[in-house]
Amino acid sequence: MVSGEYHDGRSTRIRRVQVMLEGDQLSWRGDDVQGAAQLVQVNVSARMIGVPFTLRLPNGAQLQIAHDDMPGDWLRGRHRIETLVDWLERKRWVALASVLVIGLSLFGWLEYGMPWMADRIAARMPQRMDVAMGQQALTLMRGRMLLPSHLPAERQAHLRELFDRFSRNVTGLPAVHLAIYDSPSIGANAFALPDGTVVFTDTLLKALPDDASFIAVSAHELGHLAYHHQMREVMRNVGLTVMISMAFGDVTSLSGISAAVPTFLLNNHYSRAFEADADDFAFQALARQGIDPIAFADAMHALERAHPGAADGREVRYMSNHPLDAERIAKAEAASRQFRKL
Amino acid sequence: MHNQGNAAHIFLPEIEDTVFEGSHGRAVFEFHGNTRDYFRIWIVNVALSIVTLGVYSAWASVRTRRYMYANTTLGGSRFEYLAEPMPILRGRLLAAALVAILALAPHVSLRLLAVCIGVIGLLMPWFIVRGLMFRARYSAWRGVNFRYEDDYVGAYKWYLVIYAVMAVFALVAMKLLITNGHQIIAALLIIIGLFVFQFMLYPWVRGKQQQWMAEQHCFGGKAFHFRFDAKVYRRIYRRVLGIYILSAIPAAILVFEIQRSLGWTPAELHQHPLTVKALSYLYAGPINLAIWAYIRVRMTNALYNHTSIGPFQLESSLSYGDMLRIYFVNAAAIICTLGLATPWAVIRVARYRAEHLRLEGTGSLDDFVQTSSRRTRVGAVGAEVDSLLGFDIGL
Repeated sequence: MVSGEYHDGRSTRIRRVQVMLEGDQLSWRGDDVQGAAQLVQVNVSARMIGVPFTLRLPNGAQLQIAHDDMPGDWLRGRHRIETLVDWLERKRWVALASVLVIGLSLFGWLEYGMPWMADRIAARMPQRMDVAMGQQALTLMRGRMLLPSHLPAERQAHLRELFDRFSRNVTGLPAVHLAIYDSPSIGANAFALPDGTVVFTDTLLKALPDDASFIAVSAHELGHLAYHHQMREVMRNVGLTVMISMAFGDVTSLSGISAAVPTFLLNNHYSRAFEADADDFAFQALARQGIDPIAFADAMHALERAHPGAADGREVRYMSNHPLDAERIAKAEAASRQFRKL
Repeated sequence: MHNQGNAAHIFLPEIEDTVFEGSHGRAVFEFHGNTRDYFRIWIVNVALSIVTLGVYSAWASVRTRRYMYANTTLGGSRFEYLAEPMPILRGRLLAAALVAILALAPHVSLRLLAVCIGVIGLLMPWFIVRGLMFRARYSAWRGVNFRYEDDYVGAYKWYLVIYAVMAVFALVAMKLLITNGHQIIAALLIIIGLFVFQFMLYPWVRGKQQQWMAEQHCFGGKAFHFRFDAKVYRRIYRRVLGIYILSAIPAAILVFEIQRSLGWTPAELHQHPLTVKALSYLYAGPINLAIWAYIRVRMTNALYNHTSIGPFQLESSLSYGDMLRIYFVNAAAIICTLGLATPWAVIRVARYRAEHLRLEGTGSLDDFVQTSSRRTRVGAVGAEVDSLLGFDIGL
């Protein structure tokens, strides 16, 4: 027999009662109430540290029994999963192990699981969507960040010719084309848009020493297109946003602000991996067409000269979309050595 | 309103009744939870949620909320959280899909994004009502659950139409000013307009929203009553401006000094984007926290102190200084422990809030009687969507 409170479910009056179980018959008696019910018809709440048990009775009333007073055998066979969880919640070693489990599974999920899933989804997206994404990005930038090029027409035609001849011999590409713009705000840069547009800025083209280095940068951008990097990156960003918004509750509140930092770092982490992949793609594509991958290192050196100072900041590593320049140059040189050996 | 993940805000707009016989009764709220128990519950449930890729998170939310509710008492009786995990899971999946669409849309087409935001905006008042109904329906005290009388017209009026009307007025006024414009007069009128909006209209709307929300709640056959006083809200938003100025000056000086000691010229700054980003958080973080905490504390006090039910009047005496200190220490602890201090932080806030809330009045807490015991189910979609997208309903 245990003591508890009887709530009739309609009023806030509390009645103290004694509750007992005989066979499978639960009965209670106390301050002007008494009654009985089959235990199977009583809905007992799951066990939990520091929370009293609530026994919901068939008549809409309920009994509340303090956590420590509840006889264990009244709940046998109910809430199997929550009983297990409750057991876990009471063990100190489980709490410690949970910290480890959280760390490991977060790492595994962010490093492998989520990117894998995002890549699968990206692969199923229709081509139309790539085109829409590329067009929209171009429309947004054209006229503001991207202005008509000042390069002489014959130079542009020459580059276009080089680009087309090179890309025609690269397998696994969507339809691609070169676009040249003047962009004071972007500076010396090149980027690929998912619809197959590869954009070069005037400043970059002036900085590149020769045709081979132009082709090397093109090859890198074609790598992004061949590997569908933009769509995959977008899908990873979406996955990350969903995960983080679920973890932190709402996206807009104060906790949302603190979520911005990990989101930013992780997105950078993913795009750095893509850059390295595009570099490897470029080395192979160059070698296959008889161009020494050292041209890529030449392009990197030219870029460094165009952005003085960027190369020495060690923190640039975490920031820039491109893995640290020295690292990339070393890889290009290694690819070049291999190329010459053949 | 509440980000329920942060279980600190137990569903309180409703509370009533103690066993008080004296001529002047006072029923206190107490919080009995402790960090040791809550940490274990929290960490196990977080781990299970991650391992199951979020599926278990609905069960996890129910368990952590049950702990927080059950450890909050009024007049010695515990609150209860009654929601079932399955509806929460369904609502959460839908909310996650919405977040995914919103995150994807800007990459594909800005028009699609505008359509999505428009549709969600139109549905928002509906989500708000459903969220309030859900929270009320599954919060109980002494076996009686709270109720939220759905009022979709009111929700659309106070959360959509009012803003639309103000926007239209602002646009029309701007248009008139620009077309027949004497520039100085136009500028003056715009400044006056902004002033009126920030210090008169907006506070009034927020107050009206609170009133609408409080008055739709009921418990044990009695409705909550709310005494609306526009002055209260005007004062809150006046002081927000002061707090902004007071906190922005030291923050700006601090950030400026750090930047100077690093010895970078403005031109060099963009070569150190990570540091710049960190500095901007260092600047904006504390200011945001100071303002957010102020609005939160004052609006909470305003809500409870003007709310009554039956013979009882709620009294909330949160102090801005205390809460600001609690929030700052919590934020620092959570960041330094990479989140492991979250349960401790949640418990601290819950304890402080319970200590500063009470119910005054003559009457018996036993006298709340629900006329109908019909208990309908309420879907969790609204509650999940608004906690994920964070509509600010101002609690």
